[in-house]
Amino acid sequence: MKKLLPIGLLGLVVILVVSVVSGYNTLVRLDQGVRAQWGQVENVYQRRADLVPNLVETVKGAAAFEKETYTAVAEARSRVGQVSAAGLQNVVNDPAALQRFQQAQDGLSSALSRLMVVSEKYPDLKATGAFRDLQAQLEGTENRIAVERMRFNEAAQEFNTRRQTFPTVLVVGFFGGRFAEKAYFAAQPGSEVAPKVKF
Amino acid sequence: MALGAPATLAGAPAAVPPAPAQWVTDGAGFLSELVRAALDARLAQYEHDSGHQVLVWIGHTTGGTPIEDWAVRAFAAWKVGRRGLDDGVVLFVMADDRKLRIEVGYGLEAKLTDVQAGAIIRDVVVPRIRAGSRDGATRAGVEAILAALGGAGAAEGAPVADQDAPPRPQLGWGTILLLGLLGVGVLIFVATHPAAAVLFLTTLASNRGRGGGWGGAGFSGGGGFSGGGGRSGGGGASGSW
Repeated sequence: MKKLLPIGLLGLVVILVVSVVSGYNTLVRLDQGVRAQWGQVENVYQRRADLVPNLVETVKGAAAFEKETYTAVAEARSRVGQVSAAGLQNVVNDPAALQRFQQAQDGLSSALSRLMVVSEKYPDLKATGAFRDLQAQLEGTENRIAVERMRFNEAAQEFNTRRQTFPTVLVVGFFGGRFAEKAYFAAQPGSEVAPKVKF
Repeated sequence: MALGAPATLAGAPAAVPPAPAQWVTDGAGFLSELVRAALDARLAQYEHDSGHQVLVWIGHTTGGTPIEDWAVRAFAAWKVGRRGLDDGVVLFVMADDRKLRIEVGYGLEAKLTDVQAGAIIRDVVVPRIRAGSRDGATRAGVEAILAALGGAGAAEGAPVADQDAPPRPQLGWGTILLLGLLGVGVLIFVATHPAAAVLFLTTLASNRGRGGGWGGAGFSGGGGFSGGGGRSGGGGASGSW
């Protein structure tokens, strides 16, 4: 029995080492998953931003109405461009950066929904095929955004849960900033309320 | 129009029924059995020819969940389409909600665009339902979807890169050697201190178990009918009558 004790201790150490290594690898994998999912989020937002010029042109051409509304869309679109250009490298680890990104995107969301609500007043515009196609694309894109955001939050949550779980939490301690907590998308403020329209 | 994105997505997950066992499932008595069986055979043949899995699922209600949310969860849980290709399409009809949706897998988004899906719902399906022909509406909707997807597509469209799936970790020889040594150590440890070993192994096992899945999407096992795909990004269109 005396002879076996050091071997047992060795086994203990070995198991600890294995669990730390596997914890590290798991965190790396989950971290990559969050980053990949962030890429998807950026894609769908980009897809929406790409729709904007066409949409504004169509609305403008059909009726020179509500200049205010479509300039608001164009402005919100350029703010989105600025935020994206301002380097989103580490946005998944930086709640403040994610919040800036989300604010700009939500600004575009509400400008766009005002534009669509206002368009309802113009039957001629609504009847054109081009407008109906853009409307379908915009609805589809908004839905994609909701889906990819939800999946991003799920991926971030899986990572965050794991990094607080024993024994992975030891690994986080060793590597400090390498495994910072991931930021989440907040629920869209006001999304449960229909946008107000000024007539 | 409902432009506000369904932000309730992150909320309580809607209960999704188990994966269907056939191509056309009608839980609401929406179709006549003759048409249902004919459509089922049609879609079975289509999947055999083209590889794309196109399903029709008719239920009563989503229970208050937005149909977009419900559809994307069902699509994932049922693993529609082939793995790595995600080439599935589901036409959801909720008879009591009077709502329908075409949900398109990632792999078919280029063939069946939101615009096409929207036009199918708006111009093909909804007018026929309103006119009272549910059989005709469903049949015409399915035919329009198949026409958009195109026929015998098995050879076209190379597998899409499985972006979400992280590469499996590769084991080097050094690691294998190390693991072997560790394994011996573990065996000795187990032999000498069984109770402590069980405790540690439980900790390890609980880590392993939660490891899998794609990007946290948490897909369940799914029924025998699943194609193995199941990733859709909310592409498609919805409508109501």
